[in-house]
This record gives sequence, C-alpha cells and structure tokens, in this order.
Amino acid sequence: MAAALALKPVQAVGRLTLSSLRQVGALTLFGLRSLLALVIGPWFPGQVLRQLAAIGFYSLPVIGLTAVFTGAALALNIYTGGGRFNAEQIMPQIVALGITRELGPVLAALMLAGRVSATIAAEIGAMRATEQIDALRTLSTDPYGYLVTPRLVAAVIALPLLTLVADIIGIAGGWGVAVGFLDFNPTVYIRNTVDFVEPWDVGSGLIKAMVFGFIVALMGCYHGYRATGGARGVGRATTQAVVTAAIAIFASDYVLTTLFTAR
Amino acid sequence: MGFLVLAVAGAFLIYALTVGGGGVAPGAYEVTARFGEVGSLEPGAAVTVAGVKVGTVSKVSLEPDTYLARVAMALEPGIRLPADSTAKITSDSLLGGVHVAIGAGGAPEDLKAGGEIENTQGAVDLLGLIGQVVRPQPEPPAAESQ
Repeated sequence: MAAALALKPVQAVGRLTLSSLRQVGALTLFGLRSLLALVIGPWFPGQVLRQLAAIGFYSLPVIGLTAVFTGAALALNIYTGGGRFNAEQIMPQIVALGITRELGPVLAALMLAGRVSATIAAEIGAMRATEQIDALRTLSTDPYGYLVTPRLVAAVIALPLLTLVADIIGIAGGWGVAVGFLDFNPTVYIRNTVDFVEPWDVGSGLIKAMVFGFIVALMGCYHGYRATGGARGVGRATTQAVVTAAIAIFASDYVLTTLFTAR
Repeated sequence: MGFLVLAVAGAFLIYALTVGGGGVAPGAYEVTARFGEVGSLEPGAAVTVAGVKVGTVSKVSLEPDTYLARVAMALEPGIRLPADSTAKITSDSLLGGVHVAIGAGGAPEDLKAGGEIENTQGAVDLLGLIGQVVRPQPEPPAAESQ
C-alpha cells in the first residue's frame, strides 16, 4: 500500500513524459505527412495564392503597426541606455541590428501566430467538427494536400516578406523618434544604419522568418485538424495553436540564433 | 491598409538608399595598401579623405610571405588621389570601430586603379599602449656583440 502510494509521483511523471512524447511524435508525423503531400502532389496553386493573400497581405497592417511602435520604443530605450556611458550616437546601429536580427522576425511571427494560427485552427477545426474533412476524403481529395500544405507553403513564403517590411518600418520608427524628439540628423542616422547593416543581419532574420512561418502554419493546422468535441473543441484548438506556436517560435529563435552566432 | 503599409515601407527604403548610398558606387576603382597591423578593420569600413567618406574597404587579407595585411579599398570614381598619398588606420571613437584615413600627397601623377599606397601607418594597439604605461616591461639586457 505504502509502496503504491510512493510510486504515484513516478507514475505521474511517466504519464506526462509519454503524453508529451506522443504529442511531439504526432506533430512530427503530421508535418512529414504534409511535406509528403507537397512532394507527391496533387498541388493546389489556387489555394496557395488564396492563403498568401490571407496570411501575407492582410497581415501587413498589424505587422506594420507593431514594427513602427517597437522600433520607436527600442530607439528611446537604447538612447537612454547608451547615455549611461556617453554612447548615444551608436543608437542607429543598435536599433538596426536589434530589428533586423531579432525583433523584426520574432514580432512578425508572434503577430502572425496570433492572427493566422488562430484563424487556421478555427477554420480547419470547424471543418473537422462539421465533418467536412471526412467529406473531402470521400471525394478522394487528400485533406493534407488541399488544406494543410497550401497553408504551410503560403506561410513560409509570406513571413520572410512580412519580416522585410517589418525591418524597414521598424527602422523607420526608430528614425522617426530619433529625428523628431532626440535631435538626430536624419541623413546621418540613415547613413549610419545603411553603412552598418550587413546583408547577413537581414538574411539571418529572413531565414528565421521562414522557420517561424512553418511553425505558425503547422501549429494552426495540427491543432485544428485534431480538434474534437464540436464548437468547444474548436475554441480549445485555437488557444492551443496560438500558445504552442508562440512557445515554439521563442524556442527555435534561441536555437537558430545560437547557430547563426556560432564562430 | 496593406497597400498603405507597403507604400510607407517602400518610400522609406527608397529614401534610405538614396541618402545612405547603398554599397559601393558603380564605377568604383580599387587601390591597395599594406599595413603592419589592421586591428579590427573589416570589409565595409569607411575610407576617408579629410574625414569625408570616399570609399569602402572591400577586402582584408594576409600577404603570406611578408606577413603584412593587404587592404583593398574601393574608391569613388570621381576621387583622384596623388600617387604619394598616405593611408592610416584610425579609430572612429574610443570604443572600437576603425576606418582608413587617407592623407592626400603632393605628387603630380594620380594613383591609378590597382595601384598601391606606399606610405602606411597601421592601427595603434590602444590597450597595449596603456599596458606599457601601467606596467613597463623591464629593459632587455644589452645584447653582447662581438
């Protein structure tokens, strides 16, 4: 009896480990299955274009606003921090580096996770709840190829482009604050930024953005596809999609940054 | 709204590239200089005459037989330098960042594309200098010579 009681925590750990491993395995299989659909077809270019508009173009306002305010706040903070050792003048360079290498891709991905992961999970979850996915299968259309793969492809294409816009607008936000409130010379600010930023600063951010785009679409599709229990299940799937996408974005951001900065 | 964001980003990018002068100007010509020490000089660093940027460092490499650093610089096509100009590696500020400062000479002929600036002064190892002042090395014993 006492032994059984003592084993309770161990059992809980075991259950937790197994269920999380099962989740990771299911997610991996789901991703591989969607990539397989990308390789063997049939392809749905119309779906990809529609998703590019939904994921990419209609996310521009959100991402632009996020980027401009982030750039402005970053500029103020770095100006204050730099002032502690009389180095306010390096603010343009640090803002440019922070935006292109880190904040542009990560914030664009997070906004996309909030906007797109949730939408995808709700769409596919509702289709699951109303048995439309089974109907697709009855019509011998591969639901992975028709629903999941176009969203993955669209997100992987769209997020780097959105990140590029976020980079530019974020730097513009920092420039606006610096010129408007901190008495920086507008030309010198731009010149410092352009001279300082290396192609790899932007390029590494864009590679990150491709990975994040994959994560955003995969999490939305996966949780939507596996939604159970009608309308409540769809709501749960939406929440889980956003939360897991955000966590996966941060975790992979650290891993990618480690790879990119390794010497 | 999406078009508005794209328009703002595009306008700022064009502004930045016109003002900032993206990269090496077309028609730039290259000259080289050899230094004993380049410090933290890297490709992309500015090349200036009298503090005005006239080009960028395009390549830093080691010359294997002399152990000198060979610095290739891309200069704007409109800038012509006398053949006896001098090149010196100077700090942008106390906290790192270096550029090549060129002092114009007085020779009648110009430095040609692919030419070399002969008179150079390498980077000053600031921390090394401080170290020498703080803790001077003892004088080496006089070499016994026959």
